Amino acid sequence: MMDNGKDSEVLSINKLSKHYSGYGSLFNFKKNIIKAVDNVSFKVYKGDIFSIVGETGCGKSTLSKLILGLTNRSSGEIFYKGNILNYNLKKLDLRKKIQIVFQDPYSSLNPKKKIYKIVSLPAIKNKTIKKKDALQYSMQMLKKVGLDENYVFKFPHELSGGQRQRISIARSLSVNPELLVLDEPVSALDVSVSAQILNLLLDLHEKNNLTYIFITHDLRLVRHMADKVCVMYGGKIMEISPVDKFFDGPLHPYSRVLLESILAYGPKNILQFADAGNININNINAGIEKNSRGCVYYNLCSRREVQCINNEPELKENGDVQVNCFFPYYSSV
Amino acid sequence: MSLIIDNLTVRLYTDFKKKEFFNVADSVSFSVQNGEIIAVVGESGSGKSFLGLSLMRLNPPYISEISSGSILISDSGGFEKVDIVKLKENQLSGVRGRLISMIFQDPNVSLNPVIKIGEQIVEAILAHKKMKKKDACDIAIHYLELMRIDGKARFNSYPHELSGGMRQRVMIAMAMVLEPAVLVADEPTTALDVKTSLQVLALIEKMRFEKNVSVLFITHDLSIARNISDKTLVFYAGQIMEYGLTEDIINNPAHPYSISLTKSVPGLSKDYAPRERLFVIPGSLSQGDFKSGKCRFYNRCFKKTKECLNEIPLLKLSSGRFARCVNII
Repeated sequence: MMDNGKDSEVLSINKLSKHYSGYGSLFNFKKNIIKAVDNVSFKVYKGDIFSIVGETGCGKSTLSKLILGLTNRSSGEIFYKGNILNYNLKKLDLRKKIQIVFQDPYSSLNPKKKIYKIVSLPAIKNKTIKKKDALQYSMQMLKKVGLDENYVFKFPHELSGGQRQRISIARSLSVNPELLVLDEPVSALDVSVSAQILNLLLDLHEKNNLTYIFITHDLRLVRHMADKVCVMYGGKIMEISPVDKFFDGPLHPYSRVLLESILAYGPKNILQFADAGNININNINAGIEKNSRGCVYYNLCSRREVQCINNEPELKENGDVQVNCFFPYYSSV
Repeated sequence: MSLIIDNLTVRLYTDFKKKEFFNVADSVSFSVQNGEIIAVVGESGSGKSFLGLSLMRLNPPYISEISSGSILISDSGGFEKVDIVKLKENQLSGVRGRLISMIFQDPNVSLNPVIKIGEQIVEAILAHKKMKKKDACDIAIHYLELMRIDGKARFNSYPHELSGGMRQRVMIAMAMVLEPAVLVADEPTTALDVKTSLQVLALIEKMRFEKNVSVLFITHDLSIARNISDKTLVFYAGQIMEYGLTEDIINNPAHPYSISLTKSVPGLSKDYAPRERLFVIPGSLSQGDFKSGKCRFYNRCFKKTKECLNEIPLLKLSSGRFARCVNII
């Protein structure tokens, strides 16, 4: 496959779906299908910071699990550099290529193991290094993420939240990955610590020519870090757009609502949100069930029309912006 | 004035037998007017949550005590004035919930999982007021509806049946149901989503305008402070570092710590180019900072001079604006 230049695609996702099925209740045997990820397609290019935003329950974490092969897909395909992503095929060494940094640095490190074991284990398992080099290697990795070498003999509980997140990053970098999935890497951290971690991530991105999939719900970070924004809602992609265009004026009604959340309001102006609909997974799925053929965002949309009830919009290209709506805003350009 | 805190000092014992302690709140003085929202902003570990707990006298006993100062609370009519510090333990429950109440960070933990939410609110009313249970139910439903929850339908729900945002709104309803003069909100939105957190903020704001409650809003996020508060109090290592109108503090911070805080968030101070490295406050807040005789921010400050090695008083910059720094230009 084509593998030269900055623009070669690393990850290509084609009509990917993940449906969880459950029963409504003990005596209600009607199947209740939850579409966590539904018909999602996008491409990530080499060196990009591709950011996925959306609120809790929109499927962004499920998507990251699918990319990492931590859960099986219901339908659709994921291509990694043109090859179908299949973690069972050992020859591709996919585990080396795609790694993840989890949200909560407190629960994602094994409390019983010393830091050098945590950091070097992926490298040993993937035969990047030999077991006897583990100590030396983890010292190198710690240096890379800006920690003192002496930390290798500590246990996770001896470290602060920011230091633990650095360990998580060191662990995922230990196999020299090309694609790093960052699942809300700073949302559990304090303001000044999160600035450190963001700086580190940006440094590593530049030095190691990494590609990031940056999952977050904070649009301020997206504006600062990302090349492209992908907005998800109810398991579907609402909009994919380059960052500068997105912040000039997003096309999808839902993107506009999200963008509102980072604007500055005074105490009086914030009152308008008292009536804002409270969205949770039940709400979303109720929406899908009631009009299973219509748009997922119909119930809360400000621009809905009759057409949206029975027809499902598709992700359409509009210049370099892709939008999933019949009646998008056309930016002032 | 519904809340006047004067010279409040709270000790936290590191060794109770040897009487080793440090002041987790050190000579804190400020006042909150009726219907005013003051944000307390600071890093984790700065003692801001401890300040909130001390206002309710909920600071853990045996390891901490209020060593001096007073916390005066008066209801909006000014009929009742109470100094929380002087109250005895058995008098406290008559004040908590009625004059001052609190919303905690995590709504998943702070609601009782085996009691219906309606019952929990009614319980709070009946603890303070003599009335028929049916009337109390009506009040509870009214307050749930103020919080944009379908009161009648949700009255008999258990906490696990509600979403996180709804639970936090139930907590606000429960805190507000006796119309207290002061509400302490300890990071009520950190466990929530962006959009639901906006709604919770809006509802707290609404309570302030409708019920004239004074709010002490504890947060680590300056952008939340900007959205909700009139005044901001920047808290570091148990001391007020800067105090003034929220707009002034965010647009024009004076204390080096406030400057560092606003700089370390992208989007607050607008001079960040995409992917420019963010400003990082060096080092971290340690227990030693609470005890030192010098400026408590000394070790991490970018403007430190020799004068900072002395204890620094809170200096008045202009009317209603204070900062604890000698090197303000």
